[in-house]
Amino acid sequence: MMKLRMGTGVVVISTALLFLCLPFCSSSVPNDPFFGIAPQDEKYYKSSDVIRCNDGSGKFTRAQLNDDFCDCPDGTDEPGTSACPGGKFYCHNAGHVPTSLFSSRVNDGICDCCDGTDEYDGKVTCPNTCWEAGKVARDKLKKKIATYQDGVKLRKEEIEKAKSALDKDKVELLKLKKEESTLKEIVQQLKEHKEEIEKEEEKERLRKEKEEKEKKEAEEKANEEKSAATGEEAGHTNEAGKHSDAKDYAADETKYEQSDVGDSYDGATDSPSSEGSPLNEVEESVKGAEGEHAAKSETDLRVEEKKSSEEIINTGNDASENTEGLSKEELGQLVASRWTGQKGGKQSGEAEDAKKTEEQEDLTSESNNEEYEGYASETDDDRNRYDGEDETEDDFREDERDDVSSSYKPDADFEGEPDLSGLSCLLMQICYLNLVYKWTCDEMILMSSDVVTTDSPSWLTKIQRTVRKLFKAVNFFETPLNQTDAARVRKEYDELSSKLSKLQSRVSSLTQKLKHDFGPEGEFYSFYDRCFESKQNKYTYKVCPYDQASQEEGYSTTRLGRWDKFEDSYKVMAFSNGDRCWNGPDRSMKVRMRCGLKNEITDVDEPSRCEYVALLSTPALCKEEKLKELQHKLDSLNSQQPEKHDEL
Amino acid sequence: MKNKTQTLPLLFFLLFFNHVHSWKKEEFRTCHQTPFCKRARSRTSSTSTPLIATDVTISDGNLIAKLVAKSKQEETQQNTNPLLLSLSVYQNGVVRVTIDEDHSLNPPKSRFHVPDVVVSEFQSTKLWLQRVTQETLDGDDSPSSVVYVSDGFDAVLRHDPFEVFVRDKSNGNTRVVSMNSHGLFDFEQLKVKGEGDDWGESFRSHHDKRPYGPQSISFDVTFHGADFVYGIPEHATSLALKPTKGPGVEESEPYRLFNLDVFEYIHDSPFGLYGSVPFMLSHGKQRGSSGFFWLNAAEMQIDVLGSGWDAENGISKLPKNRVDTLWMSEAGVVDAFFFVGPTPKDVLKQYTSVTGMPAMPQLFSTAYHQCRWNYRDEEDVEHVDSKFDEFDIPYDVLWLDIEHTDGKKYFTWDNVLFPNPEEMQRKIAAKGRHMVTIVDPHIKRDNSFPLHKEATEKGYYVKDSSGNDYDGWCWPGSSSYLDMLSPEIRSWWGDKFSYQNYVGSTPSLYIWNDMNEPSVFNGPEVTMPRDALHIGGVEHREVHNAYGYYFHMATSEGLVKRGDGKDRPFVLSRALFAGTQRYGAIWTGDNTAEWDHLRVSVPMVLTLGLAGVSFSGADVGGFFGNPEPELLVRWYQLGAFYPFFRAHAHHDTKRREPWLFGERNTELIRDAIHVRYALLPYYYTLFREANTTGVPVMRPLWMEFPSEEATFSNDEAFMIGNSLLVQGIYTERAKQTSVYLPGKESWYDFRTGNVYKGEATHKLAVTEESIPVFMRAGTIITRKDRFRRSSTQMTNDPYTLVIALNSSQAAEGELYIDDGSSFNFLQGAYIHRRFIFKDGKLTSLDLAPASNGNARYPVNTVIERIILLGHASGSKNALVEPSNQKVDVELAPFWVQRKNSPAVMTIRKPNVRVTDDWTIKIL
Repeated sequence: MMKLRMGTGVVVISTALLFLCLPFCSSSVPNDPFFGIAPQDEKYYKSSDVIRCNDGSGKFTRAQLNDDFCDCPDGTDEPGTSACPGGKFYCHNAGHVPTSLFSSRVNDGICDCCDGTDEYDGKVTCPNTCWEAGKVARDKLKKKIATYQDGVKLRKEEIEKAKSALDKDKVELLKLKKEESTLKEIVQQLKEHKEEIEKEEEKERLRKEKEEKEKKEAEEKANEEKSAATGEEAGHTNEAGKHSDAKDYAADETKYEQSDVGDSYDGATDSPSSEGSPLNEVEESVKGAEGEHAAKSETDLRVEEKKSSEEIINTGNDASENTEGLSKEELGQLVASRWTGQKGGKQSGEAEDAKKTEEQEDLTSESNNEEYEGYASETDDDRNRYDGEDETEDDFREDERDDVSSSYKPDADFEGEPDLSGLSCLLMQICYLNLVYKWTCDEMILMSSDVVTTDSPSWLTKIQRTVRKLFKAVNFFETPLNQTDAARVRKEYDELSSKLSKLQSRVSSLTQKLKHDFGPEGEFYSFYDRCFESKQNKYTYKVCPYDQASQEEGYSTTRLGRWDKFEDSYKVMAFSNGDRCWNGPDRSMKVRMRCGLKNEITDVDEPSRCEYVALLSTPALCKEEKLKELQHKLDSLNSQQPEKHDEL
Repeated sequence: MKNKTQTLPLLFFLLFFNHVHSWKKEEFRTCHQTPFCKRARSRTSSTSTPLIATDVTISDGNLIAKLVAKSKQEETQQNTNPLLLSLSVYQNGVVRVTIDEDHSLNPPKSRFHVPDVVVSEFQSTKLWLQRVTQETLDGDDSPSSVVYVSDGFDAVLRHDPFEVFVRDKSNGNTRVVSMNSHGLFDFEQLKVKGEGDDWGESFRSHHDKRPYGPQSISFDVTFHGADFVYGIPEHATSLALKPTKGPGVEESEPYRLFNLDVFEYIHDSPFGLYGSVPFMLSHGKQRGSSGFFWLNAAEMQIDVLGSGWDAENGISKLPKNRVDTLWMSEAGVVDAFFFVGPTPKDVLKQYTSVTGMPAMPQLFSTAYHQCRWNYRDEEDVEHVDSKFDEFDIPYDVLWLDIEHTDGKKYFTWDNVLFPNPEEMQRKIAAKGRHMVTIVDPHIKRDNSFPLHKEATEKGYYVKDSSGNDYDGWCWPGSSSYLDMLSPEIRSWWGDKFSYQNYVGSTPSLYIWNDMNEPSVFNGPEVTMPRDALHIGGVEHREVHNAYGYYFHMATSEGLVKRGDGKDRPFVLSRALFAGTQRYGAIWTGDNTAEWDHLRVSVPMVLTLGLAGVSFSGADVGGFFGNPEPELLVRWYQLGAFYPFFRAHAHHDTKRREPWLFGERNTELIRDAIHVRYALLPYYYTLFREANTTGVPVMRPLWMEFPSEEATFSNDEAFMIGNSLLVQGIYTERAKQTSVYLPGKESWYDFRTGNVYKGEATHKLAVTEESIPVFMRAGTIITRKDRFRRSSTQMTNDPYTLVIALNSSQAAEGELYIDDGSSFNFLQGAYIHRRFIFKDGKLTSLDLAPASNGNARYPVNTVIERIILLGHASGSKNALVEPSNQKVDVELAPFWVQRKNSPAVMTIRKPNVRVTDDWTIKIL
């Protein structure tokens, strides 16, 4: 009732102002001294004739309340006028939600409150739109509530699922750890046996050698006179030969590198300055100017390191030559790129080449990481499938891997890089360098990564049995050793230790997984190993919680960030330390989540360069408390509806 | 192995590609690499050909003479024709001297006189010379010709050796400004190309055909009774120009005037930047100020010679207190103006009487501008706009950089990012705000682009040296450049801004001219080749420095046409020339987010003001790089006092809108912006002062305190009008600073109201809350203390008067108000009041001339608060006359929007109207 009176009061005020005041006064004083005050604050103003400023800075009389002159810097005395910049104006907005405005909005000629009460000096007429606005707001709210109601159920289901899955993970981890320790023991035993065998073998070998030597010495003694003269000579020649070989090799290397440099500049410029910037095929296919540009930037960097301008002048010369010999167009592009960071030929969009750079930068860590991730995810997926299967499958896989690596080795000349991570890393590098062949690379990487299966305890028991049998069978005191037995021990050791290392990886990946924060109720468990994609124009955005966020365009992928953490009380997923931006920060992405019935990315944006923001709707955010809050809001909205809405 | 060996170096070099920084100095010519400059700079009085003036007569009210080589022998050797000199005198102490080849002797080509810079009104101030007096100067054998300039000043043409100077009669006939006192005058006359003459010049990969050969001009100019010289923007250097040559001076490049788009310019260099105003003014304790302006648009190099320099051997026998300078230009004619002063403000007035008064800006454009390369799309625009509201930070203009266009074709919109530009502008305009889009002079060579097609068909492009449309490279790729030297083409260009032609534009949209040096990415020194051809066979070398000016002019006049002559244009330009002040605002280009750039922005903006270009500022925050929050806050605190106040950022930088740096920084930035909004009435009044007198809004201290030597080289602090002294904080985590407060009167801290003594250096504690700002005792300023979304909503808000009383309890100040957007003020539709406080009484007087009575600007705005600083306390009431109404006097906050603002004596709610005459007497 009170609110209704207020509304009418305003009409009266504005009419009065229009009538009496407009031609003469431009500072407007509301008629009602309590104008613009929130209902809960009215008591404060009505309690006495002298009112204190809220911030305690002073006090004012009832007559000074809303007299269009600021007495309290915090605006206490002018809730209904614009006199205090720090004040707040309360709109009742009957039919909709009440709002509080900055005082600067009062009588500024712009209708801010849907009930129009903020504009009463007669300069503009604001229609009361609260009923319509309120209705729209209520409808929207109802829809939201409906979503929440379904979402809350989905969320509960997710949480249940997550709980059991987590338990299962934990049980499995325990089991795996046990297996690990058992297997470790067996491997240890095998190792000891193997070492013993080797010791024996060594003894045997030494013995044989001694025999040989004695035999030889006997022979040599017989020929002693002759061989003394010639033998020395031969040794000498031999050594010299070695030397020259090494030299040749070194020379070859240098030549190789030099020609490389030369190649890279072919067709670009005759720029002499920068060394060590060979380009691969991909680069070469790009316009010549780009090589030139990049080479220049290197020089510039050197220049930049020196602080004084004088020095810049001196060092500038070598860079100066770089632009000579460019075509007019190339020069234009080059200079433009200083501002844009884009390489020649690109008028808009991302600095493609810079992106490539960034990929190169991350190669090593990325490949390692990928390997680990692939590992974890595959085992995870495959776990059930392989349950109960026997080791033949496992062996087959192992063979396959060997095949790949061995068949690859001669080609790529990667001898001396036996470990898997190194190989995979190189594979990745090759893949990035030859983006066109990426599909083959993907396959190669896939094949080279290993798959560990964790079979049922039966396989372990079986192994234990086999090993025990083996130990019994092998007679370590037999001299010379039975070669078959020794080989069996070795083979068994090799197989089992490789199995152990796989098991250990599995344990560690599962441990890693369980270290993750799946939310206070585990509601984000299902996000693990999942990716959400959204296509926007030419880009595909991929958000993989607990892993990374990326932007793909054709075959090129830009990492927007690695998984960092949840923020803003589990409303935001933060990905940070993505690929470096040209002239800018490392890319990063924040994924803001809101309640929705599907896990789905609805929007991706780059509000600041290289800082991305995505919106993910997910049931995980449909919280019961929030639903209650919304329902409460709707109730209060409904209760605020006036009996009539057409009074203005 | 191949792949592997290639990977590592590739990785290495691509890594470094990420950091491309620094000024490309080697891409720009030094004086040594510029033949005319090298020749001129190495000339001494004995190696140059002495000239004498002969055949001195009066013709058409001008003094006319011939300049011929002194020795007949040399004349035949040099085969030079006599030059024609003309000297004319104008009201208020301006002398103009032109020297050109004699057209009656048929030189191979007529040399370029820069048109459309000297305003037509100037011609009407010419004094028709009637007679010339012959006088033999002390120590001379031959006579000199003397003409009257004004009371107290003569112009003298000394015949042998030839010299022109202005002298001060009241001061024993001492010289004020003189030309060729050292005999370095040299004028390379055009010659017919002989067989085997190769005049071409190469620089880096560019070749300049120079078909007309050497044609440079150089001469020395001396400012007598001067301690320092100032002006000749645009350089990133100190306000008082450091000597570039002379005894005890570390020789540097001369100050170069050649409009260039310099990538990542450094903060202390005589190097040429985006604009050129060949106007220098001097100041000295002994005599005051004088000025010299050479209207010439070719490349110019100016040496400021160290004290003791001598044209022959570097040892000076002449008295001190003078500054010698050497002016060198590649082409054109001598068209020189001498300004006698004697006060700095007089010189400004004299200079702007030649090149025009600064335009009266749109009121909104004097408020805060928010810019970024780029606000991406309509959603982004809406978001940024709403955030200002959310944080209650006022702003007036949102800017769109090049990415808003369709493929960098200006006058078009990217229809994905900006599908509904009109609706977007209407939404912004509904809050009283405005938008600005960028329109650059390079036109994309794309046959589907109607503008290009039309310009090609009409032959409106600048031609290359072979006569084809010049094809350069800029944002859109291959581009051509309109020949803005032609009035016809300018008019055609102006029509492109009509609402019909510029589809998607609305009345709330204004324009930004960037890259108008012109910037040509693949041109020599990133600009247009000097042998490119303009209308009438004018070579680009002759007009280069004015190209951007004509473009700015065409755009500005286009906006006037768009608004039917009723709406003032707002056009920001990067390039500038003498006269730019008539067409819009200037900013100092692509600066960097560094403390040094914050620091140098002050002398840069001051120097622009001294060259008449009052409406200027630097990018707040620094264009390149990411400012630390502290630097950004300090930049806002300083930038809020630039006449042109805009934040801008490169597109690779992080977002830096005012609310992005935490609550405290948001608060500090909001407060800085609020201060500017509070001072808008004061600024607008100062813009009007500039508009009528040429005196800039932002002034060096010595302009207000011309006899205080301590201020002459101070460029850390500056004055806003005659009331406020502002000193920036230019270092990180500053705890204290020293501020020199000039003048005998005291100063009031503009934050606290505390009093500080004048003529003293004060060590002050520095807080993060604000930079030091002081109000000069004896002045009155007007504020508006209510903040709105934009200046538009403040129109009817009441005023606060701040009265800072001097030692005799008196003060004065002015207030100028008009509708803020139309030209009706020219018909007298404005309010101009003077407030005088004296004998305990404040009086408001009408300053508008009575003859302007027919047009009025009707406002009902009142003064809601009068703050008295330095008044003896105790009064409780004041009496308003003629209404005979008593009002309260009380202690109230100095700044109502600030927490814990100190209480000062305040007259509460006098509510007198600004249009009325009234008095308020303290009881």
